[in-house]
Amino acid sequence: MDNKILLNILNEIQDKEGYISEKNLKKISKENQIPISRIYSIISFHSFLKLRKQGRNIIELCGSPSCILNKSRELELFLQNYLKIKIGQTTKDKKFSVYKTSCIGCCDEAPAALINGIPYTKLSEKRLKKIIENLKNANPKRN
Amino acid sequence: MQILRETNLEALNLVKKMKPSQVLKILETKTLTGRGGGEFPTAKKIKTILNKKTKNKYVVCNADEGEPGTFKDKFILKNNPRTLIEGILIVSYLIKAKSAFIYLRKEYDYLRKDLEKQIQDILKKSESDINITIITGAGSYICGEETAILKSIMGYRPNPSYKPPYPSEKGLWDCPTIVNNVETLTCIPQAILYGDWDPEIRLFSISGEVKHPGLYEFQKAVKLNTILDIVKPELKLKAICFGSSGGILKIKDNLKLDEKTIKEKKCNIGTYGIIFISNKTKILDINLSLAKFYTFESCGKCTPCREGTLRLLNLLKKIRNRKATQGEIKEIKELSEHIQKTSLCGLGQSCTNHILTALENFKEEYYND
Repeated sequence: MDNKILLNILNEIQDKEGYISEKNLKKISKENQIPISRIYSIISFHSFLKLRKQGRNIIELCGSPSCILNKSRELELFLQNYLKIKIGQTTKDKKFSVYKTSCIGCCDEAPAALINGIPYTKLSEKRLKKIIENLKNANPKRN
Repeated sequence: MQILRETNLEALNLVKKMKPSQVLKILETKTLTGRGGGEFPTAKKIKTILNKKTKNKYVVCNADEGEPGTFKDKFILKNNPRTLIEGILIVSYLIKAKSAFIYLRKEYDYLRKDLEKQIQDILKKSESDINITIITGAGSYICGEETAILKSIMGYRPNPSYKPPYPSEKGLWDCPTIVNNVETLTCIPQAILYGDWDPEIRLFSISGEVKHPGLYEFQKAVKLNTILDIVKPELKLKAICFGSSGGILKIKDNLKLDEKTIKEKKCNIGTYGIIFISNKTKILDINLSLAKFYTFESCGKCTPCREGTLRLLNLLKKIRNRKATQGEIKEIKELSEHIQKTSLCGLGQSCTNHILTALENFKEEYYND
């Protein structure tokens, strides 16, 4: 209880650096006296914690039934074609990583996606294209 | 809306003037039950921990709302966080807990800053010395399960544990712990303060193929037609999907949405998340989406759930591609029942409901598709 909550420490590094490096893994282990294997087991379990560097912008498209009923599959295809990557991959210029995620709680405004942690709802191809173009030209959010 | 009524620390002040047993009597009379799908009487839960004499006791607010089709807790966190925090303070005060945790799912991280601000403000105004810590999840559905959430808070991989011991006996750091859902904790101050607070009013998260999806309040045993008059279907509807775990039910006129009726049809209304499905949608597509969800979210501890969800997904894909044999469809049913009976936690026990109910209610789509 005296120690800081491990999940909050991991989230903090993930948010700041976009992933949890081996160096950070060792540092957290040493500072908190927690075996690396345990920390690794937690990181590999959670979809929002990554062990490898991600794109500067993270798009997480919701794949729950409510979104599927509202044409999220078409958006998935569009995203893959437009960014020329598959789900789970990062663009060559390292600007975008695209994932599919479990329900993000925006079912009444489907289809929805979390883009850099912010929910974007009632998405259409046109809107998604505009968001991507704006992000392409925006200042880097992470390192 | 009833859920939006603020209590402005009046309920907490009232509680401080009463004996804990009197407060529990109110909650008991008002028949407040757990709104995370469990429906366990809230007063009974608090009672089990009330007189335990241990050094520490903890309160955990479960804001890991991961059930597909449910967004009521997000609505509360956004629109009435102060009453929720008051609910946490009331439970902490009753059981004499010094620390409380709000386990906020990562998908709702954008609500954290405001929540932190509200916590500080309320702690100051109420002159409480209770520590409320927000823990952000990292995208894991199983953390909504009460033993998993505790492991996650303590810094372990969140695999569910056997019950008993229940969290009320052996929870966080082996101390008695109360785990309650966001909606339940928000209802506590409202039920205490307002004489006209109605336990029969429930939050329905409505989505799918309707013109006006959203969060609505209805009486528990509302008729389906009443809901449809308001949310207006886009096309002719054929099914209701009760989140990921509640099953898929055929729509019939005059269907009453109370727990008993739904249960008789082998479904479960759970957290009152309702996804409407129209005639143009294939039930198999919904099954496939949910099967993918469970394959991804199974924690991997129990073999039937870990391996079974994956095999079910492959079998469903085969049916969708019209490559399955009659024997394989039979296999789906057997495997689904097996996973249900042999898994440890609620996820495994309910993860095949959507397939079993679809097989029963939409047999033709499985055999003819």
